[in-house]
Amino acid sequence: MKSSNQVDLSIDFCGVTFINPFLLSSSPVSNSAEMVEAAYEAGWAGVAFKTLNSDRIPIIHPSPRMNSYHYGHKKLVGLQNVEQISDRPLKDNLVDFLYLKKKYPDRVLISSIMGFSNAEWEYLAKVSEDNGADMLELNFSCPHMCVEGSGHHVGKAFDLIEKFTTTVKNAVSIPVLAKMTPNITDMTEPALYAKRGGADGIAAINTVSGISKVGLNDLVPKPNVFGIGAISGTSGPAIKPIGLRFIAEMAQCEELNLPLSGMGGIETWIDALEYLLLGAGTIQVTTGIIHYGYRIVEDMIEGLSDFMVEKGFNSVSELVGKANANLKTTDHFELDRQGITEYNLDACIGCGQCVIICNDAAGQALDWDEKERRPHLIEDKCLSCMICSFVCPVDGLITFKEMPKEWNRRETRTMDASLEKELKFSPYKDIQVL
Amino acid sequence: MRDFDAFNTMNKGFDFSQAVAEADRCLLCHDAPCSKGCPADTKPGEFIRKFQLKNITGAIRTIKTNNILGGTCGVLCPTERLCEEACSAMLKSKEMPQGQDRAIRIGEIQRFLVEYSWERGYQVLKKPDQNQGKVAVVGSGPGGLSCAAELAQAGYQVTIFEARPEPGGVIRYGVAPFRFDQTFLKKELADIEALGVEFVCNHRIEGEKGAEKLLEDGFKAVFLAPGLWKAAELIPGQAPIEGLLSSVDYLESLRDGRLEQTATTFEGKTVAVIGGGAVAMDCAETAARIGAKDVYLVYRRSYLQMPAEEKEIQAALETGIHFLLLNQPLDYLTTADNIISGIKIARTQLGNPDNSGRRAPVEIAGSEWNLGVDIVIEAIGNQAVPESPNWYPGVKTDGKHLIQADPETGETSVKGIFAGGDIVRGPSLVVNAVRDGKVAAQAIQQYLNQ
Ligand SMILES: Cc1cc2nc3c(=O)[nH]c(=O)nc-3n(C[C@H](O)[C@H](O)[C@H](O)COP(=O)(O)OP(=O)(O)OC[C@H]3O[C@@H](n4cnc5c(N)ncnc54)[C@H](O)[C@@H]3O)c2cc1C
Ligand SMILES: Cc1cc2nc3c(=O)[nH]c(=O)nc-3n(C[C@H](O)[C@H](O)[C@H](O)COP(=O)(O)O)c2cc1C
Ligand code: SF4
Ligand code: SF4
Ligand code: SF4
Repeated sequence: MKSSNQVDLSIDFCGVTFINPFLLSSSPVSNSAEMVEAAYEAGWAGVAFKTLNSDRIPIIHPSPRMNSYHYGHKKLVGLQNVEQISDRPLKDNLVDFLYLKKKYPDRVLISSIMGFSNAEWEYLAKVSEDNGADMLELNFSCPHMCVEGSGHHVGKAFDLIEKFTTTVKNAVSIPVLAKMTPNITDMTEPALYAKRGGADGIAAINTVSGISKVGLNDLVPKPNVFGIGAISGTSGPAIKPIGLRFIAEMAQCEELNLPLSGMGGIETWIDALEYLLLGAGTIQVTTGIIHYGYRIVEDMIEGLSDFMVEKGFNSVSELVGKANANLKTTDHFELDRQGITEYNLDACIGCGQCVIICNDAAGQALDWDEKERRPHLIEDKCLSCMICSFVCPVDGLITFKEMPKEWNRRETRTMDASLEKELKFSPYKDIQVL
Repeated sequence: MRDFDAFNTMNKGFDFSQAVAEADRCLLCHDAPCSKGCPADTKPGEFIRKFQLKNITGAIRTIKTNNILGGTCGVLCPTERLCEEACSAMLKSKEMPQGQDRAIRIGEIQRFLVEYSWERGYQVLKKPDQNQGKVAVVGSGPGGLSCAAELAQAGYQVTIFEARPEPGGVIRYGVAPFRFDQTFLKKELADIEALGVEFVCNHRIEGEKGAEKLLEDGFKAVFLAPGLWKAAELIPGQAPIEGLLSSVDYLESLRDGRLEQTATTFEGKTVAVIGGGAVAMDCAETAARIGAKDVYLVYRRSYLQMPAEEKEIQAALETGIHFLLLNQPLDYLTTADNIISGIKIARTQLGNPDNSGRRAPVEIAGSEWNLGVDIVIEAIGNQAVPESPNWYPGVKTDGKHLIQADPETGETSVKGIFAGGDIVRGPSLVVNAVRDGKVAAQAIQQYLNQ
């Protein structure tokens, strides 16, 4: 195996070259040049800097501003936050831009901005470009700004997306990304508005509006800001399925056809790769860093490089969108092909979890041999839902196998056939409405 | 024919989900104390982090680039006093100085990752193209293997000369096979062979200046790691007695094709093992497992003073070994045919600490007694082969024939000759020999680039 430092992970995204596809997303992890510098040293290729504000209104973060969503002993499966955009003076952020561009010219500085009016969007875009930003990211998506008329309120008013994007595009010549909120049903629609406004790419997703925990003593949803909770932004591994879905849908939208910067729940190279395979050209991270620190990029770089060597990919761009050919709507499934589970009982330790859940939640296809303390599969009752394999503690014991075409699954039994004579029932006939 | 499969096979290590679950317990510490505790700088803090973040190839690369015997060390290291000693996962604090949990099982994770690389065919190390010149290594134990692998990765053409038929040293011909088996060793050796290291077995470097002459035979540097293959004797100069064995010969007989024969000799016999170290535990446990009826471990100090690792002592106790602590063997009893029949022993009490820092055994006057036995194994220490200084007369050695080498570089008193492992340290550990091989390889490169 080639060593990882021999693999070229660079990628062209909106005409800008990134040394690898891994970026800090706009959040506390990208709050200052001091922090971003440490991230660059660890290997990150660029940063979407913490969203700038124009100093027009003072930004004050609620306190405490985050809460963690644990699952069993697993920490930070999700993160809940009510943080606002940058509370630093604009001047300080811009001085930091100059520092970063001077010291790290090969790293990409994306200025994330949020305005409240055309003039403010234009102003922030211009000062960003004038002070070294390589790209802009328009924050249409913060779900919990304490100020009306900002953040995801814009993200949900599609005409405003187009209007503000047009304004920004007219003001600057650097590429512009529109960062979208996932708190809608279809993201391609607002993305198309952004495209009409001239956006060069789409970044998604921002945090998902949610509540992950309610305090049981004080009855206040968390984070508990002195007695008050709020619907706020959920991030981290819990939201990865949502992020992947929106990226894939936008990637498959031919009319949109814009570069995508994917994020939401990325911690490992595998998460990042999944985003790439579904159409993201770069990926961004916050909660993964909140959990582990900037060092995770080393593992993203090494893991992705080793994967590419093993599978024979020569560049990151070859990976982008590669899985979308296999992603179709459910009506494409071949329903005449059916299978069941296969049990390697030599590896069974006899816990019986499979029996419990197969009986309570599936095909009731497992008997329990009380003497041997082992499950016994009744093949023609197995639904191939595979839930037994999800709870079985032994890796690879329960697998899926396809059955021959002539094989049939038994109907689920009724409890008392004699009740049929009491049925009030005639079969449904489809009525053709002309 | 008896079935020795269990005797010759070590227990299975973690499977994938066990390894993941254990790695998940790791706190990914900032200045990982585990990494500081590893003599070979295997970097457990780094490889566990990589594993936790699903960068498995990277985790294996970290282990193997830092410790070519990473799998072996994962199995054989006394981790509780190395990497695991200060593990934060024990949750020790001012409030709870005893801790609230156990250390991460680093050795087992390390072993799993290396075995996983074999299973998946991940070759994380590369054989470089360049040729930087020839270096000779004397001895294919952990020290020699580590030095050779390090140099081979830097582009040197390394030849290892090994006296015995197969490479490995103590881990091939010493350690009990159910603690470390041949299949595992072969796989770890294959990783070294893949780097282009040449093994010349059945080739003892000996005779006047035998080792020094290698420098005249085209080798630009020599690394000496012949280990300690002379067993210390209870009564120096003791004439041979039938049934009186040295730990070195006995353990070797279990691993060089004579297992069946040795097992037949031991079947149903009463055996005494003299000593309280790791080697004594291996001797006692193997003797019981190949069929001895009763195995006595005769040790002159008490439990706490035993140099063996706690887990080795426990394993011996669980095998049914009878521990005769505070008993000093004095002499052997023999039959008229010069066959051993017993040991004359004196009871002891502990006195003041001796040079080793442990309380010394003091014989109790008039307490002598005889233990009737059929076989005795002396396991009271391994020493350098007495004639070894002749192989390298220019190299400074001490009174015990140990080589005097700079601990930071392995340099000896002869330019171009380096040394490490047990022949420098005295009886030590695999991981220390690995460390010595590594630092010597670095010093050899520096020396050759001057
Ligand atoms: C029974 C036993 C159990 C042990 N258990 C453990 C354990 O569980 N964990 C642990 O960490 N450590 C253990 N050790 C210690 C560990 O094995 C040694 O510290 C380690 O093997 C030393 O490595 P080395 O390379 O210095 O020498 P060795 O392993 O002794 O290897 C030296 C090699 O050089 C060869 N050789 C010698 N002279 C010549 C010559 N003139 N020419 C050519 N070749 C020559 C020998 O045949 C041998 O193969 C144990 C030791 C013993 C004896
Ligand atoms: C504490 C916190 C603050 C954030 N602040 C911003 C912000 O100022 N601007 C922005 O565009 N996104 C912000 N985000 C959203 C992240 O950039 C990112 O889109 C989201 O967290 C999903 O990625 P993740 O799962 O890797 O965290 C913030 C997220 C968190 C957790
Ligand atoms: S869950 Fe797995 S291990 Fe447990 S009884 Fe079922 S098959 Fe066996
Ligand atoms: S000291 Fe223990 S908990 Fe900390 S990094 Fe090392 S193995 Fe993990
Ligand atoms: S080599 Fe040994 S001491 Fe070092 S980390 Fe591995 S198991 Fe621990």
